[in-house]
Amino acid sequence: MGTMEDVVQLLAEDGTLRNHEVYSTYLEDLDDAALRDLYRHMALERRFDAEATSLQRQGQLALWAPALGQEAAQTGTIAALKPTDRVFPTYREHAMALYRGISPEELIGTFRAARHSGWDPEDYHFNTYSVVLAAQTLHAAGWAMGIAQDLRTGSLPPQKAEDELVLACFGDGASSQGDIHESMVFASSYQLPMLYFIQNNHWAISVPSSTQSRFPLANRASGYGFEGVRVDGNDVLASYAVARHSAQQIRSGEGPKLIESVTYRMGAHTTADDPTKYRTSEEIDAWTAKDPVARYKTWLQNEGKADEAYFDTVDQEATELAADLRHTVHTMEGIDIDRVFDTVYAEPHRQVETEKAWLKDYEAGFAEEEGQ
Amino acid sequence: MSQIFKLPDVGEGLTEAEIVSWRVAVGDTVEVNDIICEIETAKSLVELPVPYAGTVDELVAAEGQTIEVGQPLIRIAGADQPAGADQPADDAAAPAAEEAPAQTETAQTESAQKEAAETEPTETESAETEPAKQQSQSSAAENSEENQALVGSGPKADSAKHRRRLRSTAPDLVDVSDLGIEDHGRPQPERSGAGAAESIAQASPPVRALAKRLGVAAGELVGSGRGGQVTRDDVERRAREKQAQREAGKSPDSGPPAPESRAAQPQEAGLLRSGPREENVEVRGVRKATALNVADSASTVPHVSVFKEIDVTATMTLRQVLKNDPAYQDLSVSPMLFAAKAIMWAARRHPQVNASWHETHYTLHNYVNLGVAAATPRGLVVPVIHDAQIYNTLGLAAALTQLTADARDGRTTAAEMQGGTVSITNVGSLGLDTGTPILPPGQAAIVALGAVRKKPWVVQGHVVPRDVMVVGGSFDHRLIDGDLAGAFISDVAAVLEQPGLLID
Repeated sequence: MGTMEDVVQLLAEDGTLRNHEVYSTYLEDLDDAALRDLYRHMALERRFDAEATSLQRQGQLALWAPALGQEAAQTGTIAALKPTDRVFPTYREHAMALYRGISPEELIGTFRAARHSGWDPEDYHFNTYSVVLAAQTLHAAGWAMGIAQDLRTGSLPPQKAEDELVLACFGDGASSQGDIHESMVFASSYQLPMLYFIQNNHWAISVPSSTQSRFPLANRASGYGFEGVRVDGNDVLASYAVARHSAQQIRSGEGPKLIESVTYRMGAHTTADDPTKYRTSEEIDAWTAKDPVARYKTWLQNEGKADEAYFDTVDQEATELAADLRHTVHTMEGIDIDRVFDTVYAEPHRQVETEKAWLKDYEAGFAEEEGQ
Repeated sequence: MSQIFKLPDVGEGLTEAEIVSWRVAVGDTVEVNDIICEIETAKSLVELPVPYAGTVDELVAAEGQTIEVGQPLIRIAGADQPAGADQPADDAAAPAAEEAPAQTETAQTESAQKEAAETEPTETESAETEPAKQQSQSSAAENSEENQALVGSGPKADSAKHRRRLRSTAPDLVDVSDLGIEDHGRPQPERSGAGAAESIAQASPPVRALAKRLGVAAGELVGSGRGGQVTRDDVERRAREKQAQREAGKSPDSGPPAPESRAAQPQEAGLLRSGPREENVEVRGVRKATALNVADSASTVPHVSVFKEIDVTATMTLRQVLKNDPAYQDLSVSPMLFAAKAIMWAARRHPQVNASWHETHYTLHNYVNLGVAAATPRGLVVPVIHDAQIYNTLGLAAALTQLTADARDGRTTAAEMQGGTVSITNVGSLGLDTGTPILPPGQAAIVALGAVRKKPWVVQGHVVPRDVMVVGGSFDHRLIDGDLAGAFISDVAAVLEQPGLLID
């Protein structure tokens, strides 16, 4: 996987800040309140994530895909973008989703199998989660081609071009999918305003990223004719700065860019997975030492950017967010099954009606038993 | 107040788990999400967080015990929980249960069980009392039918697995609705239990598609696969049977098989020949070019056709002379050769026949690019002898021979088919007497040669056998009126009757 030497890092694991001639300049735009807010978003997602994991273990969610350990990668990147930039997420972009204002109810419904999708992408410029690996990168390329066409035909004014770049999220596992290749070929050929964001969390379920690629994933970008950068995904400041830099280049019309965010999935792939079967506790310990939230908190404290009262406030907010999530899940009603059938086609359809009647008959079989 | 936490499905579709170890003991105080035990499922080792706060009242399941999803795991007394989380909802039915907060421990437990009953009916839960509950604690396994509950929003299959059914529901059917077949076998849910679909077999979508493609209806199929499922082989076998029946000259439902001797009688078969009833053939290549050309020509050029029957005995005599001439060895010496000479002779006398129409003007050609219509394996092609007027008779015979051979062998190039000014078509080679050819695009005249036949002919008052043929053709009426067409054909005819006219 290459060495970590080529990975952009501003905030070291011990919480000390180092200077980088290009990327450090972007931090100047962050005042203390903005710096604190990065922490707040990470901490809130971490608590939300833990609650969702517990809720799944308590039988309240069908599944949960924890983002534990990837808070900085996601938060730093989404914070660097404009609210109008279009995000095409995987199913693990919880920090990004919450950052954009997607509510716990909207986010959790699919994981409770109570909603087909939780939110209207137009409301947040944030597409629905894609469970199909890498498919969203094709959707993203298509969306970006739409932007490019709108610009070409004049239906989108040139000055508006800077307001919408397309963020295509995927992981080290999905990077092996053919869809990625097609997406990148189109992005490069049409010089699309796209930022490819790989969260290399080192594990594609049980397959290590070292098996997926013999050299850094960021290097693949050069094969398509654009630039790839590796960043320490557990460093929220570097994640922010690199994303800002790449976004600026994209907005100026330089075409697509790629960021490989080197991070680590501290939790299971999903709640249906048991990572102890394929990775060692030594590896977990090594990455725990690089924890993104703890590292950043240390720096905020040492620099006097935030006091204990602030952290207490965030803790309280996180507790309330978790309670809100718990309450939401417990009171969330399921899907109206009639509606599922009735929305397959615009007009009544014989086969759908047949299957609907079959299900009703099947369910009625239990009612008879109950009546005895 | 107490709450029972039942074993959830912590994976995707898991049905049971083994209690590996308890992390809490009776009397311990727990907070929401505290880890209470570790379980092992078919997939993984999982730490379970408790959804209630309070004191551990009872560990219902023992370490080493395997329990099914939905069975009681732990009882927490004095449940004191965060707002809004006091009644875990199992599904959409849960809010109804929450409307009636439990007054006592017993009622509370009952409520929780009733909630479970929304999706999993049991026979005894509504009558269950404290003693019954105690019993369930001591022998959870035996009472699992009564006590098990649906937990969480896991796959529905889990719930169905535990629910008893008294009757079956009609299986999915082979969908052949778009074959226009009466759907007597469609399910009738409102009249269920009547075995409405007994005669209809199950089939997977690809097999259904195959049946549709081969014209086999659902009712004709008997499944030989697992569980009576229709297989690909079943469909193909049935299709072969039907084909054999058709070839044997009887419809599938027309009683006893016909005697074997009749099977070979072609008039008994349903079609003109073997093969599908209708066949779509892609239009391309020469066929497409011909279609475009003749459609364009026939729809834009007003054709006028004239014919004349003539005595070509003299030409046939001359033809025999040339054939015997060693100079013409290996060359084709046909009536076409003389017709070509005749056309050029006539065109010299009638310039407006050798012309092209351009709406606002027309072009008179002071040369003849002679198109020769040729039926080839690829279709109709009209190769052109450019500047045919420069050839002497021998040269023209050689050119025609070469052109015919090239066309037959498919060697005619695109350039060789361009630029014709007048064409000739030999329908006589097809044994025909005449026809009304369509003008090639851009040309104003095409001459048709009929077959040369020995016919009775009146010569100087006597009926004698002579070589007779019909010569005629089609003309662009925008340029050429009937009198000009007649004069031209008459000149061509004159040469063919008196080839001596060709001598300068």
